[in-house]
Amino acid sequence: MHRSRKTLALAAAGTSAMMALTACAGGADPAEEVRQITWVINNVPSQWASTSGAGGSVYTVQMLSGVVPNTGTYLPNGEYEFNMDVLAEEPVLINGDLDEGPFQYSFTLHEDAVWNDGTPMTAEDLRVTVMMTASPSEGYCTTCDPRGSATEDMIDTMEVDGKTLTVTLKEGMADPEWTSLFDFASAGAGFYPSHLAEENGWDVEDPDQLGEFYTWLHDTRPEWSGGPFQIVDGDLTNQVVKEPNPEWWGAETQVDRIIHPFNTEEGTFVTAFANGEIDGANPAQYSEDVILGLQDLPGATVTVAEGSTWEHIDLNTENEWLADVELRRAIFTAIDRADIAERLYGTGYPDYELKNNHIFNSDSEYYTDYIGETAQGTGDTEAAIEILEEAGYELDGDTLTLDGEQVGPLRLRTTDTDIRSTSVQLVQSHLAAIGIEANIEMSDDLGGDLTEADYDIFQFGWSGSPYFAGSAHQFWHSESGSNFGSISNEDIDAAAEAANSAPTLDEAAEYSNEAVELVVQEAYVLPILADPNYFFASDRVAGIEDNLFSSFRATYNIGEWALAE
Amino acid sequence: MLVYTVRRLLGAVPVLVLASILTFVLIDVSGDPLADLRLQQPPPDPSVIQLQEERLYLDRSMAERYWLWVTGIGGNGDIGLLQGEFGPSTQSTTYDIGANIAERLGVTLRLVGAAMVLAFGLAVLTGVVSAMRQYSKVDYTLTFIGFLALAMPTFWFAGIMQSAGVGFNELVGTQVFATIGDGTYQAQGQDLWGRITNAFAYMTLPTIVLMLTTFASWSRYQRTSMLEVLNSDYVRLARAKGLPERVVIRRHALRTALIPLTTVTAVGMAAIIDGTVLTERVFQWRGLGEFFIAAVDSNDSYALMAWLMLSGTTVIVANLIADLLYGVLDPRIRYE
Repeated sequence: MHRSRKTLALAAAGTSAMMALTACAGGADPAEEVRQITWVINNVPSQWASTSGAGGSVYTVQMLSGVVPNTGTYLPNGEYEFNMDVLAEEPVLINGDLDEGPFQYSFTLHEDAVWNDGTPMTAEDLRVTVMMTASPSEGYCTTCDPRGSATEDMIDTMEVDGKTLTVTLKEGMADPEWTSLFDFASAGAGFYPSHLAEENGWDVEDPDQLGEFYTWLHDTRPEWSGGPFQIVDGDLTNQVVKEPNPEWWGAETQVDRIIHPFNTEEGTFVTAFANGEIDGANPAQYSEDVILGLQDLPGATVTVAEGSTWEHIDLNTENEWLADVELRRAIFTAIDRADIAERLYGTGYPDYELKNNHIFNSDSEYYTDYIGETAQGTGDTEAAIEILEEAGYELDGDTLTLDGEQVGPLRLRTTDTDIRSTSVQLVQSHLAAIGIEANIEMSDDLGGDLTEADYDIFQFGWSGSPYFAGSAHQFWHSESGSNFGSISNEDIDAAAEAANSAPTLDEAAEYSNEAVELVVQEAYVLPILADPNYFFASDRVAGIEDNLFSSFRATYNIGEWALAE
Repeated sequence: MLVYTVRRLLGAVPVLVLASILTFVLIDVSGDPLADLRLQQPPPDPSVIQLQEERLYLDRSMAERYWLWVTGIGGNGDIGLLQGEFGPSTQSTTYDIGANIAERLGVTLRLVGAAMVLAFGLAVLTGVVSAMRQYSKVDYTLTFIGFLALAMPTFWFAGIMQSAGVGFNELVGTQVFATIGDGTYQAQGQDLWGRITNAFAYMTLPTIVLMLTTFASWSRYQRTSMLEVLNSDYVRLARAKGLPERVVIRRHALRTALIPLTTVTAVGMAAIIDGTVLTERVFQWRGLGEFFIAAVDSNDSYALMAWLMLSGTTVIVANLIADLLYGVLDPRIRYE
């Protein structure tokens, strides 16, 4: 009797505790008290500013959305929109005709534009941002390590006149993408408050002191803001919390708080979403299991669309066999891209589209289909063997030979992801059909292996961007550090250089397409397709949509987010 | 015992030095810390890469770097284990590896501490019950549960627990259990009761996962040890003297049977601190496991080396504690 009374008491205490916890947990839901959205950033940003190499990830950019002001962005439909909250007028091209004089343009900030401490935004903010994002070799800043050079050493002068910055390029130089200098895709994903340098005692004209300001911006959680939200809490480990910027002069924000938890494990999205802990995310990686799990949940909107990273197969022209362009053409002809795409995305994203231009997507006004004009990527084994036989190769049983010597074996490399592993296995079988033995080797050091050209065939991905003028130069110019397989073609070099320094986007596109056509003829890089990305959001939020043209993704219009009525 | 302890600690120094060399060489040759930077689009200026190479001491030979890493002599003040500096990080110019690892250790210990206490208690209870009811239905059931817990992959079990937590929340119509995060931010500004419920919400599921995946093997140790003691002469004598069974078990059998488990637990703690990687990942706790994964993801050599050195040190210290515990628990053992 004594024992059973004790047991009963224990059970009662346990039940009471559970009931109390249940009641308290229910009452503590802050989402019911404030208009709050919890939007996941699916990795941990490493710094508080996005201009540096280490800080310049999409995760930092998304964390700072609505805080760092910028001058424009591409919209989800692919159209470009200037940010007229920040700008007084669209940027002005003062002179684009190099025969008339130096290339010159100006940006004028909105009259009402202020930082959240009430200090007006001025052209000095723009100038100092350029100084911090320019190459260190330009001399503005000794210790700045920007993720890209904002100016590529082209700027001659920058004149500050109140809210207007006038930029003049060096003689004979032009920049077709000059309007992007302070937009979403710029090195800083916007511009920074220069007055804080002075407030903290740094002289921005001193390269060492500008470096200290730069470090401070990256090291210090920003209390400053020039957008609709400001960061009020958080760290670079768990999450950040944003609340409306009281000095914001644009349209009033519709939510009281936005929480960005950093979540590195996509496998948790389904349960966290079902549990009401998160309202959505725009993950960087494609995950079929997660997509299918989310699609089964009530109240979830899930979209899958072509992302910005495109997969491609590169050949190393320094390999003794692959130096022969005919062999390269045969290899690309034997590879069946449709087979690869169907196996990878046939279930989760059946609307995939094969990529037939390295630089432009099919919805771009500059798109021309160059791959489709050839047999490359078709998996046409007979055509591939024909190319080989015409070039003097012989298929001896299951082995391809040249002058009696076996071709290969070739080292086929990629990084160890499910998608790439499957893809290279298929490529291996495609090559076996034309008598080429390819041995798969996984790479755990993508950058190192590419830089050292430690491969014969490599599948990896490039991140695409609506900005394209420098792409051909980076990928294929004989002096580019990213021309890993060492293609060397004077015509490609000339086209890439011309694209990079064309005065207009139309001309830059023309030269870029010329470079693409030449690269296809060289059978150097075979694009497969753009990796799809997914996005999911709860039906309790409104105004949120994915933007695959911007590294901000869904946060590109964070000032317009709201709760559904 | 003091002399013994000092002797053991001194003996650990060459082990740690050897471990540090192995750690350094293995990580140093495993990849380029600047690989991601080199692949960036648009590509960084060569002067930026050079700046980073100098900052990370990649412009020096491996032997020089090892010397720097240990002593800090000739460095920029951000490196040298002997000076308490773990080196510069690829994750950021201002990322303090030492401060981060200390903070993460705290998070991990919070998770592991609760799980270990519960796992130890459960292991003792089930081990003793199993031993006392040897070959009974209870013994078979507990054995089955133990082996099941041993066999379950952690990430899978953690996923199941998350789903179960969500199912429970749906059943009661409110969020009792959280599935991601450690609840640090959610606890801010709450009163004591709020903090307790918050801790309950965030700690319960990962604690259960760690506890169950840990208790199983300990429970088997306890059962075997208990069986051995129960069949010993002195327990038989205690019973023959007419002592109540409860006294025989609690005072005579259990105390002796706990010795092996206690020492296994001490060593096990070190393994568990390292082994929380999966649990932390699935429940998104920013502990040492996540620190390790972030270091691997960003080719952060010095952070990885710090993690491995911490692991090595923990194992050495845990072994020492286990040895010392023998002496405390078993009066027949004396350290000279």
